Amino acid sequence: MNPERDSSLVEILDRLLDKGAIINADLIITVAGIPLIGLNLRAALASMETMLEYGIMEDWDKSSRELYASQETHLPLIPGEQVLYKAFGYIWQDEGIAKSWVPGIWNVTNQRLILWVKTPGKAIFETPLASLRVFRVPTSHETRQELELVYPDGRARISLSERDEFEAALARATTETEVISV
Amino acid sequence: MAEEARYLYSVAKTAIEVNLGEIGIEKKEVFTIPYKDIAAVVHSSLAEPYDTKDRTRAEEWILEHSYVIDQAMKRFESVLPFSFDVILKGDNSAIAGWLEKNYLVLHKNIEKVEGKAEYGIQIYYNYNDLAGKILEDDPELKGMKSRIEKESKGMGYLLQKKLDARLKSLASQKAAELTNQTLGKIKTLAAELKMDDKKRKADGYKGMTLLVSYICLVADENVLQLGETLDEINRREGFRVRFTGPWAPFSFVDYRELS
Repeated sequence: MNPERDSSLVEILDRLLDKGAIINADLIITVAGIPLIGLNLRAALASMETMLEYGIMEDWDKSSRELYASQETHLPLIPGEQVLYKAFGYIWQDEGIAKSWVPGIWNVTNQRLILWVKTPGKAIFETPLASLRVFRVPTSHETRQELELVYPDGRARISLSERDEFEAALARATTETEVISV
Repeated sequence: MAEEARYLYSVAKTAIEVNLGEIGIEKKEVFTIPYKDIAAVVHSSLAEPYDTKDRTRAEEWILEHSYVIDQAMKRFESVLPFSFDVILKGDNSAIAGWLEKNYLVLHKNIEKVEGKAEYGIQIYYNYNDLAGKILEDDPELKGMKSRIEKESKGMGYLLQKKLDARLKSLASQKAAELTNQTLGKIKTLAAELKMDDKKRKADGYKGMTLLVSYICLVADENVLQLGETLDEINRREGFRVRFTGPWAPFSFVDYRELS
């Protein structure tokens, strides 16, 4: 049999968006620090992909959560740990030369807060929920909201599109996390 | 005012500066920016990502992006595909500088995929067909089936249950065997092989179960033989193979070392 080129969007999307390597280069443009695909487009495509997969249409943030949630399966959990909430977001990294927002999946478990990146499959950030403090800070981007995390090892600036949901998830996960608006 | 930038489709193995015509996103003119024996395939853009809430427009962009990569694959020996919306700041000389800086990483990737392309292989099976075939080929099970027809209702029911369970286990055994055999053969023909854990079922395979899904990097000279191997499976009762490609080697490039 001869291979066939299926020019359906599903096949192309799978390749173009998932695999077509995310690159991190000095010259790459960023929007308010976010590399690569525009947020609205990411949203449109995420919902498209989910729609294709399930044959249904849903509002984008729900479907994109599902899309990104499919990456979560690789996140290693400790015994007794459960993922309570996950959402696409970023962390600001300014170590070394490249200062940028690094994308990943924020996972709130009943024990930890983790930013998980599917490729190469690692947690870029994690901290126990106990003694984590979360501050609302002014945002530099219209569709995302930023938070400052203060935890025993230091501070981190993070960004998500649904700050309220994230905070609510933290509140559900533990009574030990403090959320403070600035 | 956004600064000057280049939208990157791919990096190809070519030393030639060439204009590929207005084949880019929204009919942008696509051209190469060479450095040594490699070149960036780009169009001139502003330093802003393509962004839209309009799904149809997003689809068009994606297809256009994919089209440029396909054209590059036809034209050049070896093509490294890039994801959508990879935009590099600067003019042609800045991009050439970027190629120079990342030459080793890009070249390593090019060497890896040279003369090869990415293919998708999905093996589906239809349980009823497979079970029917097993029943037909197995005298013992066949005898069991004819006994069921003669037995009393209660006894017949029990025998039927037993037969169903036996068929089910034989079918899954057979499917597993075939998967292993096939995997062995595919491995000898593919330069690299990955399991596609998404296992998304394609249209037109209704009522069938997706047994396994692979993504392989295959040398051009092995494609025919791979097709023949897959034919052997495709001919078996109850099985169907979906063989797609050639794709640009999206799943086999590694850009983690790019800077």
